[in-house]
Amino acid sequence: MSVSANDSPKMNLRAFLAKYSVLIAFAAIVIFFAVASPTFLTLANLFNVLVNNVVMLAIVALGLTIVISSGGIDLSVGVSVDMASMVFVMLLAAGYGGVAGVGGGLGAALIVGILNAILITRLNISPFLATLGVLFIGQSTQQLATSGGQPIYLTSGYAADQFNAIARTALFGVPTPVIVLVVVAVAVHVLLHRSVFGRYVQAMGAQPGVAWYSGIRVPRELSLVHMLCALLAGVTGILLSATVKSYVPLSGNAFLLDAIGATFIGTTLSRERKPSVIGTLLGVLLLAIVKNGLLLVGWNFYWQQVGIGVLVFLVLAASFGLRRASH
Amino acid sequence: MQTAKSEIAVSMTDISKRFGPVRALDNANLEIERGSILGLVGQNGAGKSTIIKVLAGIIRPDSGTIVINGETVTSLSPPSVEKLGVHFIHQDRLLVPTATVGEAVFLGHEIGLGPFVSRRAMERKAADLLKRFFGMELPSGNLVKDLTTAQQKVVQITRALAQKASVLVLDEPTAALVKREVDSLFDVLRRLRDDGIAVVFISHYMQEIEKLCDRVTVMRNGTDVGTVDPRQTSIDEIISMMIARDVGEMFPKRSVTLGAPVLEVSNLRLGGSFENVGFNVRAGEIVGLTGLLGSGAKEIVQCLFGLKTADGGQVKVEGRELSLSTPVKAVRDGIAMLPEDRRAHGVALGLSVRENISLASLRRYSRGGMVSRGLENQAVDGLIKELSIKTPHRDALVRELSGGNQQKVAIAKWLSCQSRVYVLDEPTVAVDVGAKVEIYNLLNRLAGEGAAILLLSSDLLELVGVCDRVLVVYRGKLAGTFSGAAMNSDALLAASSGARTVKEAAA
Repeated sequence: MSVSANDSPKMNLRAFLAKYSVLIAFAAIVIFFAVASPTFLTLANLFNVLVNNVVMLAIVALGLTIVISSGGIDLSVGVSVDMASMVFVMLLAAGYGGVAGVGGGLGAALIVGILNAILITRLNISPFLATLGVLFIGQSTQQLATSGGQPIYLTSGYAADQFNAIARTALFGVPTPVIVLVVVAVAVHVLLHRSVFGRYVQAMGAQPGVAWYSGIRVPRELSLVHMLCALLAGVTGILLSATVKSYVPLSGNAFLLDAIGATFIGTTLSRERKPSVIGTLLGVLLLAIVKNGLLLVGWNFYWQQVGIGVLVFLVLAASFGLRRASH
Repeated sequence: MQTAKSEIAVSMTDISKRFGPVRALDNANLEIERGSILGLVGQNGAGKSTIIKVLAGIIRPDSGTIVINGETVTSLSPPSVEKLGVHFIHQDRLLVPTATVGEAVFLGHEIGLGPFVSRRAMERKAADLLKRFFGMELPSGNLVKDLTTAQQKVVQITRALAQKASVLVLDEPTAALVKREVDSLFDVLRRLRDDGIAVVFISHYMQEIEKLCDRVTVMRNGTDVGTVDPRQTSIDEIISMMIARDVGEMFPKRSVTLGAPVLEVSNLRLGGSFENVGFNVRAGEIVGLTGLLGSGAKEIVQCLFGLKTADGGQVKVEGRELSLSTPVKAVRDGIAMLPEDRRAHGVALGLSVRENISLASLRRYSRGGMVSRGLENQAVDGLIKELSIKTPHRDALVRELSGGNQQKVAIAKWLSCQSRVYVLDEPTVAVDVGAKVEIYNLLNRLAGEGAAILLLSSDLLELVGVCDRVLVVYRGKLAGTFSGAAMNSDALLAASSGARTVKEAAA
């Protein structure tokens, strides 16, 4: 690995392209849609993208970023979203207040995380299989609890007030969900990149054997990782219910693949392919803008998935391929 | 040599191979005869495994001639060597655990029609072969993982024979076997020899060499120093051929006054591995620990770091009794471990020098759970300088460092913890000679600062050169403690090979 004067400009260009493939893709896509659709670059549209497409996905993806940093995966984030949403709405429907509803919802999500932690650290099941199992169990649980998957709509004035207090308020003109995202992003950034816990997470992800041989309490730290991820997914569940004023069973799964995609797009920012908060946020923005842009230029909903698939493929391939060539 | 030319199966002449500054093979010769069992002995690093890897086509020699079955071969690769009838039973390359015996025997040479494999035909044929060669009734539909280690060896040998092997090379085949299995393996090898197959047997166990081999080639410092008949040459003579006398300045001298015992181990035992192990390491003392693979020496070290939980016994550090059930506790109680597998357990290659060095001691550089980069950088820079770790900067990835410098990072991690007891597991494996000397200097300095050091090593010269005392483990028991003039490679090798039973040697 030489960083010497004889590196040709062409090699440097390749390295540059490899490193910033996400940013370049981002810029290209923004320009493309700005030209293709007159409404794309309007403040109203961008605001809509931020509140409706970015915030909830980003919070789930930030939780997954912690898990993926530790070398694991959580396929049950959708279940955590749904559980929080379900318990929150059910508590409101039973006449409990907003605080109890939010607390109960987050608690339900946390239980999913604790279940994952037990399966992974006590029973030594691989994160992939453990969280896949929890995904199946969680889906059935919801169907059993809602007589086969009936949505719960809350239309009472009381519930609407509670929902609006979360989803429709703003502080200095910034909507509450956006503030929640900012707080979560800063917290996860500090936790992952500045704290002792974050360093342990990085070590477990880089080489679990070294973490264990360095006296790190790997089971404990991994448990925390999975509980945090589930809790963040739960935050999204609350925001989701408050926004749509209902609980729709199994709706959380829509976040899973997008969140994984966003996190991995974000890893292309780092030479060692480590997930990061900034990378994940960029990945989420990229996916949200593509979805929105394709909608604006009139693409069918089903084609959006194709567009996102191609995008993920291109960004990762460009980053991997160019980086290999530049070394 | 009275042998006719046609009886020589393999002849390797003037083979040389360098790895960077290290001369692994220096004009080495090896001659393998048909219908004879050749022992190949030498210390670690003598070149045994390198010359075998050259023959296996895994390593390409810099120069030399190889003649197999009268034909001079210029370029070897693992498949081409097998086609020439030379087969290897490697020490650690095991069979696919979930294959059946039949599948394992015909792995790579499956029987069947086109792309379709007939497992039943393979199992029937494997059963035939096992019966014919070894008189063994092994249900060939059994899975490999359900067989004993000895049975797996036999399956590996059968695979070689199924492909008409004329030369069979076995690398430490008895390391994991019990006595009875060793005897039946020897019967198998003798029968093969009588059938005219050339057998090469690599072992550290001198008694086995004496019992089994017709000839023994001794290697030292990358070359062959002689081939003898073990029935006419004593084990002591063979051992003295193996040991180089010119130790030179590889091992820096030191003079330290020893303090109070820091590590006290008594009655430690682990079922199936070792029993009744007791010893002390004093402040400033470097105590060596050695034993052959499977002797239990490794497991003693693993118990001290909580990687395995001992069944009984006591471990004290500075008078305090420890419960060593996990590395978490061992680290907290001041025990540092330099593991043998550096890449899996010692340093995280994908993390920076800084992140690796501070990993075990982050609490010292943090406030309220947040890492203080200032404190961390200061400590890390100090250690990089102190150990003269060659790295472009503290944030360079450990992957980019040389093996010796990676090992220094692993040591720095524990210096940062201010550990009192250092347990080192083969710390100089796969580092070059210059880095070795630096690591020895480092050990001396650690000891000089009052640390207690336990050095597990199979490099006898290293043990003699570095340690104040050496404990030898043989088949699960402390077979002797050597110090002063009694601590020499001959005595250590003899004790660890079980050639002699040695009483506690006086200093």
